[in-house]
Amino acid sequence: MSAPDLTFVEQVIERIGRGPEKVIPILQAIQAHCRYLPEDALRRVCETTEITPAAIMGVSTFYTQFRHRPMGDHLIRVCVGTACHVKGAGLVHDAFVRHLTIAEGDDTDPDRLFTVQKIACLGCCTLAPVVQIDEVTYGHLTPDRVPAVLRDFLELDKTGEQKHWADRPAGGAGDGAEIRIGLGSCCIARGSGKVEHALQQALAHSGVRARIKRVGCVGMCHQTPLVEIVRPGHATALYAQVQPEDAEAIVLRHFAPRSLGRRLKVAAGKLLDRLFTDAAWAPVTRYSLDVREPHVAAFLGPQKHLAVEHCGEMDPTDLDEYLAHHGFHALRDCVTGRRPEDIIEEVRRSGLRGRGGAGFLTGLKWARVREVPGEKKHIVCNGDEGDPGAFMDRMLLESYPYRVLEGMIIGAFAVGADEGTLYIREEYPLAVRRVREALRVLAERGFLGENILGSGFSLRLHIMEGAGAFVCGEETALLASIEGKRGMPRLRPPYPAERGLWGKPTLINNVETYSLVPWILRHGADAFAAIGTPTSKGTKVFALAGKVARGGLIEVPMGISIREVVEQVGGGVGQAPPCTGLPATARREERRFKAVQIGGPSGGCLPASMGDVPVDFEALTGAGAIMGSGGLVVLDDRDCMVDIAHYFLEFTQNQSCGRCTFCRIGTRRMLDILERLRNGEGKKGDIEELEHLAAMVKKGSLCGLGKTAPNPVLTTIRYFRDEYEAHIAGRCPAGRCKALIKYVVTDDCIGCTLCAQHCPVEAIAMTPYEKHEIDAEKCIRCGTCKALCPTNAIKVE
Amino acid sequence: MPKLTIDSREIEVAPGATVLEAARKLGLEIPTLCHLDGFEPSTSCFVCVVKLKGKPGLVPSCATIATDGMEIESETDEVRDARKMALELLLSDHLGDCIGPCHAVCPAHMNIPLMIRQIAAGRLRDAVVTVKEHIPLPSVLGRICPAPCEKGCRRGQHDAPVSICLLKRFVGDADLAAPEPWLPERKASTGKRVAIIGAGPAGLSAAWYLLQDGHAVTLHDDHEKPGGMLQYAVPEDKLPRAALDAEIAAIAKLGAELRLGSRVESIAQLRDEFDAILVAAGELRPGDAGRLGLPASKTGVEADKATLATPVEGVFAAGGAIRPQKMAVRSVADGKAVAASIDCFLSGSPHASRVTRHDFSTHIGKLRDGEMTAFLAEASAAPRVEPAGGASAGFTGAEAREEALRCLHCDCRKPGACRLRRWSAAFGASPSRFKADRRTFVQHRQHGLILYEPGKCIRCGLCIQLCARAREELGLTFIGRGFDVVVGVPFDRPLAEGLRRVAAECAAACPTGALALRQGEDA
Repeated sequence: MSAPDLTFVEQVIERIGRGPEKVIPILQAIQAHCRYLPEDALRRVCETTEITPAAIMGVSTFYTQFRHRPMGDHLIRVCVGTACHVKGAGLVHDAFVRHLTIAEGDDTDPDRLFTVQKIACLGCCTLAPVVQIDEVTYGHLTPDRVPAVLRDFLELDKTGEQKHWADRPAGGAGDGAEIRIGLGSCCIARGSGKVEHALQQALAHSGVRARIKRVGCVGMCHQTPLVEIVRPGHATALYAQVQPEDAEAIVLRHFAPRSLGRRLKVAAGKLLDRLFTDAAWAPVTRYSLDVREPHVAAFLGPQKHLAVEHCGEMDPTDLDEYLAHHGFHALRDCVTGRRPEDIIEEVRRSGLRGRGGAGFLTGLKWARVREVPGEKKHIVCNGDEGDPGAFMDRMLLESYPYRVLEGMIIGAFAVGADEGTLYIREEYPLAVRRVREALRVLAERGFLGENILGSGFSLRLHIMEGAGAFVCGEETALLASIEGKRGMPRLRPPYPAERGLWGKPTLINNVETYSLVPWILRHGADAFAAIGTPTSKGTKVFALAGKVARGGLIEVPMGISIREVVEQVGGGVGQAPPCTGLPATARREERRFKAVQIGGPSGGCLPASMGDVPVDFEALTGAGAIMGSGGLVVLDDRDCMVDIAHYFLEFTQNQSCGRCTFCRIGTRRMLDILERLRNGEGKKGDIEELEHLAAMVKKGSLCGLGKTAPNPVLTTIRYFRDEYEAHIAGRCPAGRCKALIKYVVTDDCIGCTLCAQHCPVEAIAMTPYEKHEIDAEKCIRCGTCKALCPTNAIKVE
Repeated sequence: MPKLTIDSREIEVAPGATVLEAARKLGLEIPTLCHLDGFEPSTSCFVCVVKLKGKPGLVPSCATIATDGMEIESETDEVRDARKMALELLLSDHLGDCIGPCHAVCPAHMNIPLMIRQIAAGRLRDAVVTVKEHIPLPSVLGRICPAPCEKGCRRGQHDAPVSICLLKRFVGDADLAAPEPWLPERKASTGKRVAIIGAGPAGLSAAWYLLQDGHAVTLHDDHEKPGGMLQYAVPEDKLPRAALDAEIAAIAKLGAELRLGSRVESIAQLRDEFDAILVAAGELRPGDAGRLGLPASKTGVEADKATLATPVEGVFAAGGAIRPQKMAVRSVADGKAVAASIDCFLSGSPHASRVTRHDFSTHIGKLRDGEMTAFLAEASAAPRVEPAGGASAGFTGAEAREEALRCLHCDCRKPGACRLRRWSAAFGASPSRFKADRRTFVQHRQHGLILYEPGKCIRCGLCIQLCARAREELGLTFIGRGFDVVVGVPFDRPLAEGLRRVAAECAAACPTGALALRQGEDA
């Protein structure tokens, strides 16, 4: 093999820099270029920068983004976030591996065409289970659809029809008429890019003058893609689950084409178009929604929009529009007329507490950073949202980048920081692009940089992309990561307020916290404090997902009960979602609301009987869960609590940095026990041993990850001990743990052979018109037969 | 100057000092593994945890800065439990044998691998010391012992076990043949006198160790000759009496008084003359215990399992007198154990009730496919040596050395300096507390000076800090994350390339046997 061409490495270094802290961006650039990290390239980096071999190896093996083996031509990322997990993501992953005949221990098929990876969360929880192949997202997958998805992707890939919808300039002039289309990640994943494209075509065909406007996340992720028609003097119309082929009809319904000739042409073209329409998605019914409709009202009714104010109305990248909606009023006020001490006092009085999880009083934190003496101070925005099942920060950064930045600039002014970093997960490329664009625009318009708004206050902000380490959500680990180190938390005190980034006093807040700041300063502390409970003020954004009819991004006032969130906003678990893309087996069994997992891997499972617990820091902690960053996954009677505990512990165990004995080995030993329980190998005393270990891991871990890792286990034991005991007795009451269940065919079988045709392991013999039999030895419990059976004749025992 | 209290004792320390340093100033030893003075705290092992009043959970004392008014508890049950569990968790992921499996199964706990290495190095005098630290009768046992050690020998999994028993006999015989056989030092006389009833293997063994402790010993036996079963039950062709007599003579030479041919009717008759009495008369007939004036158990004389003390003050029992013994080596081991117990009793030591019979050790157990390779790397590939003169002749010097080279050296190279072992023993941590799949045994042998066994690493990173400080070109680094993190050389290069400057320092700093000098700790 000839020596590889490494000139790109030189270019990367030239562009990024040679300091030891540049290691992560350099690795990201190399990986972007090669799709993995060739050793020669890494050696070259060590030769020409201050980065040592020990550092480059330590860092590149710490973060899961980096790979040291070449990748297949396409990357399949199977989301195994909570919402996806409870909807069978594990089976989908296995189906890909099986279908691509990927060898054990490898992640790429023999032809090196596809690499399959599990990813902690793609943040499209309402589409669960979700898979992303390169840039294309597929939702609501079942194992049996895997071959079709791969075929579809390869088709798309051939036509080159899939890149960055959201990055093209929005088009169309209008007479005040707007066609709004949601372009959050969920919407894009559900095909809103294609719908936008179709709308543009429809406008061009028909000659209608209307402006297509991209708006941020509408929150109703269960109804995406959403299209809203806004015309001055007309009622607003909202369309849900719009498909590209619907675009033309929608346009024509609201806007008359300008000439008869056009109209005729349109009619003819429509026929043709139909033929060429991409029909990758299972056909869906189109809904015309109206905010007055009961279920929309129920979804929006209890909500209170502060962080997501003007949701669905604004183009996220349009600064003027943000300005027109009172954007940067608060900042202007602050930098031109208010003393930093007064701003901090206002924030303190509002009762705002950090939205990242721990709920520390924001005003106190700001005051502390301000007090600590130091010429140089830093500000950091923690956007390393890693909880599986949580995507609030992603949505806020994608849809309200200016609001987050306004809050951050105010924070910097208040504490006296002149430099800052937004640390954003690399899994959120759209958020990164939007924030980067927003930073550019703000600098251009004088809201950032030197002498902001003529006030004499200056601030420079950078973006740092995380590299795939959940633990970096912990603030000291995050700071280590910005400094180019392995993301290892350290003992606090000293807190970042005293010794943070580069040893300087540092203010570090979560995305949502910053996004609430402009509202507070515009409306006053009292207005904010008027919402919520005595100790938890304002609102909280949740990613509502799982077994709930209407999942989405919601912002609710503190103090609202869990039950209201699940049943009123979410529409409960009883009814099936209006469309899920599932095969039309239609006859769904009635499900029962069993529990809600709140707070992700650090949180806990509260049973349905505790539905009256309010959304309040103290109340949730008292119940064994935590507010956390805002993942709220609803579970029904088919979810096994031992499996859920295993799922979360496996996640944290996998994300442990490995520093502390209790977290590194203790969580592993807990997982060993849970694995035994799931495999029917549990024995008496296992539950007590789990509790004992859990207590020790909580006590003997350095950072929040370890201290909270046992929570999902402890709460499930606390509220669902009988399920643990059942597993020891060899039963999984929810019918979920593979080793403890088997699939059997009932007498309802009509012998249609559908199951036999689709069984991936040929465990069902092809016996037309006879009752089928499942070979329990061969069966891998993938559930495909059950999902496909038209007569519901397959039962789990 | 911050003033704090640790276990209610007040102490003032310099600003910036840690709780660990404050404890030291008070003379308290807080256990640590990952801490090394002068280095950044690793806060990894969590064995040094203490309770900081007013804070939930526990904090690592090595990194917690002492502040004014701090109240620390370092000796509560909660703290002790946490330390013990931290040790047990580390042990559950610790792959190695502190002591060799032969050593672990030897009833007399003889350090067999050390003896073998001494033979291989031609240091026979050292080998005798090693052997006689546990077995005063090696020439005898070398002929009659069923050698459970050889069943434990790891080499047996490959071809055939090392011929341990014959090697031990070789050491014993060589010593007896020396112009001046080795005799241990005796401590200054304590003025205490011990009567031993029975001059069999248990009694002789006890005498040997009690003499070394400075006590006067008198062996009583109703037979004409000493040796008990060894003298009267073992056939001459298996055990030539010359060997037995010679080894007994050495015990006598050390100072044991022998009163032969006179039967002890009751312990009462010995009370006036002796400060302690040991019943080591071998298997007793029914009624014997009562006749002696001792409570009987189902199998012999009643005695405490840990201390071997009978319910009668100052009277102990060992060997077949407590329960029938099949192996002489067990009686010999009992003799040593009871000697330690009697010594405690005589010196009024507060630990009189503790007789440590087992050294702390972790165990790999059976090797898996491919794992033997690392062990075989430096051992002689030759098959087990059979003595040219037949089994009864024993090894010649050359044969013994040749056989000794077959030893795999599978015991740890740092059993003495290992802090994990030290504290695990101190806290009574159990290596089998958590059942877990073990990792694959790996040993990096490319470095001339040191060996690296990742399975023993506790991921403290001290070696990584050392390398960075010494500006090693490649050095060591953490590779991976979480449970799967390992310490390795960047770019998968050999250890010799990673550690060019500070290999010995790394081995010294490593809190376990993960990084150790090749030569180990053998003196």
